Amino acid sequence: MNMPTYWVHVTIENKSGISDPEGETILNDLVLQGKFSSVSKINSAKLLKFQINEKNKKLAKKKIERLCDELRIFNPMVSKLSINIITD
Amino acid sequence: MSLSVQESKHITKKIGRDLSITERQIIAAEWSEHCSYKSSKKHLKILPTTGRNVINEKGYDSGVLDVGDGYVVTVHIESHNHPSAVEPYGGAATGVGGVIRDILSTGTRPIAIFDGLRFGDIENDTHARWLFKNAVSGIADYGNCLGIPTIGGEVEFDECYKNYALVDVAAIGFGKKDKLIKNHANVGDLVVLIGGPTGRDGIGGSQFASDSLESEDRSAIQIPDPFIEKLIIETILEARNEKCINAMKDLGGGGLSCAVSETADSLGIGIELDVDNIHTREAGLSPDEIMISESQERMLIITEKKKLPKLNEICNKFRVSCSLIGYVKNDKMMHVRKGENTFALLPADFVAHAPLLDRKKTIPKYLRHLKKENKNKKLLDYSKTILKLLSSPNIASKHWVFHQYDHEVGIRTVVKPGFDASVLRLDNGKFLSAKIDGNPKHCYLNPRQGAIGCFEEACRNIVCTGANPIGMVDHLQFGNPEDPEIFWTFMEALEGLSDFAKFLRVPCVGGKVSFYNETPSGPIKPTPLIGVLGIIDKPPLVPVPPSNGDYLLIVGKTKDELGGSEYFEYVHKFIGGNCPTVDFKTSKLNMITVLSLIKNNLIKCVHDCSKGGFVIALSELSINGNIGCSIDIEKIPSTKNLSHEKILFSESHSRYLLVVDGKNITRVKQHLSKQKILFGVLGKFSGDQISITHKSNNLVKSNVDVMRKRYFNGLEDLLKHG
Repeated sequence: MNMPTYWVHVTIENKSGISDPEGETILNDLVLQGKFSSVSKINSAKLLKFQINEKNKKLAKKKIERLCDELRIFNPMVSKLSINIITD
Repeated sequence: MSLSVQESKHITKKIGRDLSITERQIIAAEWSEHCSYKSSKKHLKILPTTGRNVINEKGYDSGVLDVGDGYVVTVHIESHNHPSAVEPYGGAATGVGGVIRDILSTGTRPIAIFDGLRFGDIENDTHARWLFKNAVSGIADYGNCLGIPTIGGEVEFDECYKNYALVDVAAIGFGKKDKLIKNHANVGDLVVLIGGPTGRDGIGGSQFASDSLESEDRSAIQIPDPFIEKLIIETILEARNEKCINAMKDLGGGGLSCAVSETADSLGIGIELDVDNIHTREAGLSPDEIMISESQERMLIITEKKKLPKLNEICNKFRVSCSLIGYVKNDKMMHVRKGENTFALLPADFVAHAPLLDRKKTIPKYLRHLKKENKNKKLLDYSKTILKLLSSPNIASKHWVFHQYDHEVGIRTVVKPGFDASVLRLDNGKFLSAKIDGNPKHCYLNPRQGAIGCFEEACRNIVCTGANPIGMVDHLQFGNPEDPEIFWTFMEALEGLSDFAKFLRVPCVGGKVSFYNETPSGPIKPTPLIGVLGIIDKPPLVPVPPSNGDYLLIVGKTKDELGGSEYFEYVHKFIGGNCPTVDFKTSKLNMITVLSLIKNNLIKCVHDCSKGGFVIALSELSINGNIGCSIDIEKIPSTKNLSHEKILFSESHSRYLLVVDGKNITRVKQHLSKQKILFGVLGKFSGDQISITHKSNNLVKSNVDVMRKRYFNGLEDLLKHG
């Protein structure tokens, strides 16, 4: 049986309260230097898109979660993950 | 909070009232081992700290050395072990940032960075590999963004650092003597905080560093921002030129608590500040949090009232935030307000001086159980063993590491990393040579001789470039000092370093003590790290690789000292044996003699024998020149009846390999004989094989090509495929 293909998007960003120099720099040195003064905060993050073949959505998500943990894709001390599934 | 019962009693007795929560937080931060040196301070006094070139001023965070013609060099060393063990990228990067601000606080420009990195067994431990890779990229990213070259260091792996990391960073600064900040303050001067905003990051960091690392306690994360740091460097240097700075202090461990109390104490002044005036990253920080936050990239400045507009102008130009947080008084008190409400009011000298401790010491039991000889070992083929050592993580080329660092930015780097010491060009036409060295394997077997050995090795390395040692910094890293056995190892190392420094007349111009380096499986091995600076008046000896027909000489005596060697520990997995010892007189004589040979242009290249012993030093020379060598070890000066393996792999100190052009060989021999130096002419470079014989016995035959591949690919392969 052919397993369905899923796109799993993993966003890695700093936990709140931990500084985000990249986001702050984009805000202060780019956005606020232009005419976009209504922008008040920018958070930078890393997005990884995984294409995976699994039986169902739940398993796909679980597998990617485990992968991120085991391979140290992120440091749980500093960053948090959010995982979104986009069905192909 | 970690105030002991005795400390709490002492506080109540001296202050005569109960402390507020903010006061307790401030004192707990300042009295942590990390900030107060309460276990070590009494003993550190034995180190010689004065000398012809040393400039001492109150409140300096780094050592200052006069290098002539109106110029000074500054140097400092720090570690960031606990943060790096938790978050290697950010921990290592912020470690670089901290030491750079120490250099900056004297009013000199940082011109070079060194780093000493130590991790667990990266061959078998994926976590150690993860820590290593990330610490290296943290240092690279931070240093490269700042435009300060990382010009050297060392990397070592040992089981004792399992699930832990030692990240030591040393920095060198350079500047004009008349522009040094002469820390002083007058009543009415203003206290200004410049740099990044204060946030919740790193709260309790220095107390965290003064506790053992337990897996659940991982609160102190600091995020590096090299771009702010770069702007701070330029802001401070311009403010210095405009004479806007009366006194200055970097915010490191203990945050504002530490910076304010220590500044007030060292200058004999009082400081009153209002936490409402401090620029913060997030709203709702309590006064306690603001006082002990260890947010990075911040400096405390004391300026005159009339200079404030100029200082503001400079800060605006570089878009560095600047808050006027308080002013100088004459009551010698540290006064923290929030608006009209007082949160802390304590004598600054009381806060800045934790009660010092008398720690007990006893000889560790493990030393009694160490074996002198390795009796069970199998006889191995020497050629294969050499290849194994050449590709081992501790000996293999570290180019994977230093190629990630920009080591040339600033165009001062004359001798690049990868061989012995690196050399920087200074503006007065002189050259500065620098190196850091450590050796926990030796120090575990004999902390005193091990520490002296690290010091000697750093000296040897800079001697190899033609430099005279003028100053040293020490970084003493040990486990929990409350354990008398660990404290004994600390005292041994310290006394050894002090003896040798006095003998060589090389003053200790700075340093750091880091205790509580404990991993889940126990304390680390004693890991003192020594940095030595040297000055060269004329162009340095830029090593020329050996070529066909050059002679190979060895200076110094090879002894029965395989203890703690890579051969015992990596090849035979044996911990024990005789730790190499340093004979002070021989050490000095050998240094002076090698230096005079270099001065007279008699040698092409000098390389010291260290990790892996004579045979590895020889292999490195051959690999470097891509040329073979035929030698007979009969001619190596050594203790009587020394076995082949000991001659090849013993890590005895004070030994140098000299590469000498045929036309100079007679003069070199005459010179060495005249100085009554032990030396041997071992053979000549030629062909494409290293062949080592003893009388008519063949001991080693190995193709330089193969050795070269193993040496250069050892570490890289491990990291790429791991």
